[in-house]
Formats: sequence, C-alpha cells, structure tokens
Amino acid sequence: MIQVRGLHKAFGEQQVLGGIGLELPKGKVLVIIGPSGSGKTTLLRCLNLLEIPDQGSLRIGGVSLQFQSGARPSAREVLSLRKQTGMVFQSFNLFPHMTALGNVVEAQVTVQKKSKAEARRRALELLEKVGLADKARSYPHNLSGGQQQRVAIARAMALDPEVLLFDEPTSALDPELVGEVLKVIKQLASEGMTMVIVTHLMKFAAEVADQVVLMDKGVIVEEGTPEEVFQHPKSERAVQFLNMLAD
Amino acid sequence: MSDRQIQIVLDSLWPLLRAGVLYTIPLTLISFVLGLILAIIAAVIRLYAWKPLQAVAQFYVWIIRGTPLLVQLFIVFYGLPSIGVTLDPLPSAIIGFSLSVGAYGSEIVRASIQSIPKGQWEAAYSIGMTRLQALRRIILPQAARVSVPPLGNSFISLVKDTSLAASILYLEMFRKGQEIVARTYEPLLIYCEVAVIYLAFSTVLSALQHMAERRLGRSSAA
Repeated sequence: MIQVRGLHKAFGEQQVLGGIGLELPKGKVLVIIGPSGSGKTTLLRCLNLLEIPDQGSLRIGGVSLQFQSGARPSAREVLSLRKQTGMVFQSFNLFPHMTALGNVVEAQVTVQKKSKAEARRRALELLEKVGLADKARSYPHNLSGGQQQRVAIARAMALDPEVLLFDEPTSALDPELVGEVLKVIKQLASEGMTMVIVTHLMKFAAEVADQVVLMDKGVIVEEGTPEEVFQHPKSERAVQFLNMLAD
Repeated sequence: MSDRQIQIVLDSLWPLLRAGVLYTIPLTLISFVLGLILAIIAAVIRLYAWKPLQAVAQFYVWIIRGTPLLVQLFIVFYGLPSIGVTLDPLPSAIIGFSLSVGAYGSEIVRASIQSIPKGQWEAAYSIGMTRLQALRRIILPQAARVSVPPLGNSFISLVKDTSLAASILYLEMFRKGQEIVARTYEPLLIYCEVAVIYLAFSTVLSALQHMAERRLGRSSAA
C-alpha cells in the first residue's frame, strides 16, 4: 500500500530526512514516534507532498513518484498522489467559513465534481461515523477542539483515500477531549483503514499500531511491532528515548 | 438667516438630494464594484502570477497611488481627446475612480489574503485542491471577511471623492451645488447644505458598515 524508499529532505543546509525507507501493507496502522525535531512530521508531510522530498521514491496505492533534487514533480503528479491520502492536522485547520457539513462536502463537489446531494449524503454518513451527525450545521468556532478534530477526520475521509495521515492529532486538545478523538481513530483501525499516525501518546501507539517506527535526527532508529519497539528495543537511542518518556 | 435664505436652502434641498441619489450614489456604486474586481485581480496577480505580470500590477498600483486623483481624472477627460479618445464625463469618472479603488483596494485584498493562515492552504491541498481551487473556495472567501472593514472605509471615502467628478463636468451633487450657488450667490449656505448631505450619506453608510461587520464577526469568530 505504502512504499517509501531512500527519502531525503533538507531545508536549506539542514538535513531533516536522511534516507527513510518504509513499507506498510493495506489495512495496517503505522505509528511514528520520536523526539521533537526528529523529522517525523516532515516525513508525514512528504507522504502527501505538502513537502516535496529531495530524493527517493514514494508509492501510495497505485501512484508512484520518483524525486530528484531540482526536479519538482508536476502539479498533476502531486495531485494524483495527494488524492490517495487524507490528512488530519494537529491544529485541525477546518475551513471556518463553512459548516461541519460544508467542510466534508467541499472536496467532493470541488475536486470530485460529485452532485451536491450525493456529496451531502456521503458527508452525513461520515459525520455519523465520527459521532457528529447532530453538529452538521454548526460552524467550527461553535465546536469543541475534539469535535473539530473529528470533523477534520470526516473531511479527510471524504475522498475515500487509500491512507489517512495523522499529524499529532491530539496535541492541540485539552486533556479531557483527547479520548473522543482516539476512540474514532481506534474505530477506524478496527475497520481496516490504512493509517500513518505521528503521536506522542505511547500508550495509544501501543494499542493502535501494527507497526511502530522510532525516528531520531531524520533517520529510523528502531522499527517493529509495538511489542518489539516498546518492550525489547534494540538500539541504544530507542532505550534512551523510551526511558526518558517513562520518567 | 433671512426668510429668503431659508427659502433658498429649502428649494435647493430636493435638487441636491436628487443629484446625490441619481448621480453621486450610482457613480460610487459602479466605480466601487468595478474597482473591487480590479483590486482582486491585481492582488492575486501580485501574489501568485508570473513575474513580469506581477511587475505590471505593481506598476499600476505605483502610478495610481503616487498621483492625485484629480490629475488622473483630468488626464482621462481633458487629456485623452488629444489622442482621439473622447469620453463623456460619466465614463471618464468611472474609469478614474475604478482605477483608484482598484489600486488602493488591491493592497487591502493582498494583505487580507496574506493574513489567512498557511494551514488553510495546506488543508485545501490535502483534500486534493489545485491552487486556483484553494484560492477561490477557501482563501478568498475568508480574505473577503477580513477586508470588509478597510474596504468599507474606502467605500465611504469614495462617496466623498466623487465630488471631484464635478471638475470634469459630471453633474453629481457637488456640481449641482455649484450651479445653485451661481444662481443664488449663497456659497456659504449652499456648500454647507451640500456638506450636510454628504455627512448624512456617510453616516448611514458607516452604520451599515458596522452592521455588516457585526454580522460577519458573528459567523466567523475563530
């Protein structure tokens, strides 16, 4: 489903990703952990080309792209890969001038050219799924952070992407609102949605992940099942990081 | 004030109001709408278009902002006939005012577009939108709200600025006032009367502007 090979990314002189390789089968959940500045968010943003990698290759669903420094992929290539993915942002980024329903309808009508009625039907289904069918007519500023993030999840699923990407989806939430968002993500996992999740919540990572990747300084230092990574880490860096969290 | 003067003020009220409603307001509305379209185009060009096109838009803003509106009107109305382009007062005034609104407005629109957080672009891209789709569906509608207060101010300025069209023979409210003064020899009275009518127009528009801002504020508070 997802295949990443030799992915490099630098911001100016600063190397952020130093050759990342990944493979994730359909229906599986990959959780990326690591200290801040380790490049995990950049990696996630490379997966839907919000950042264009400098080098390497990327395959998601049926679309694959090669990257070379200085040669930006065409707008069409970028779009075709992006349509394989849905993204959930740390700060939700809902469209404030549209209702919850409007947020979920938007891409279906503007990008997919579905009829309004059809798009609305699908959007209501998705809002139902995240438990917010009754908030369809609310504007984002009238929703709690947890509700906004659940709408954002529904929005990300509206184009039926092959994979959902989550960038620290609960980091901007008040503690009491984290649970409702995690619940939705776990439910999606149990339904077989392919997902890549960047998070700081280790307990959640252990519960939801099929695979865990620990990044540090732009490279993967440890990977495996949650049990392998959390209980029997092999690298010294992983032991350090996990101990630091345990403190 | 003598009875004669009171009579003059009362007699001139209707002709002045009529000129205001039939000529000043339509000139303002048409110029503002055209200017606004120009402003959005110029702002988008300056932000996103091909570099040479950006330079053209920047040149336009530079010229219009750097020269007096009155001089621009004179060039269009009195100057262009020398190269065979003769326009009536109304189209001349519309051209002059639209270009002016477009130039000042483009700065407002540009700043409003830039004030929309980057996350909105990224969210739009993440659901498969092209840059143009993101701009049209996500960024401009939000920028429009941000730009309502400053554009409202431009609109109110424009109502008053249209009095400059008197100088290119367009018979709007101020020119009507001049005509009445020429007949009655009461400049202080009549020009004060004209001023009061402008004040009334501006006050009503300001109130409308505040209402619009409150409404927008209600539905878009972040």
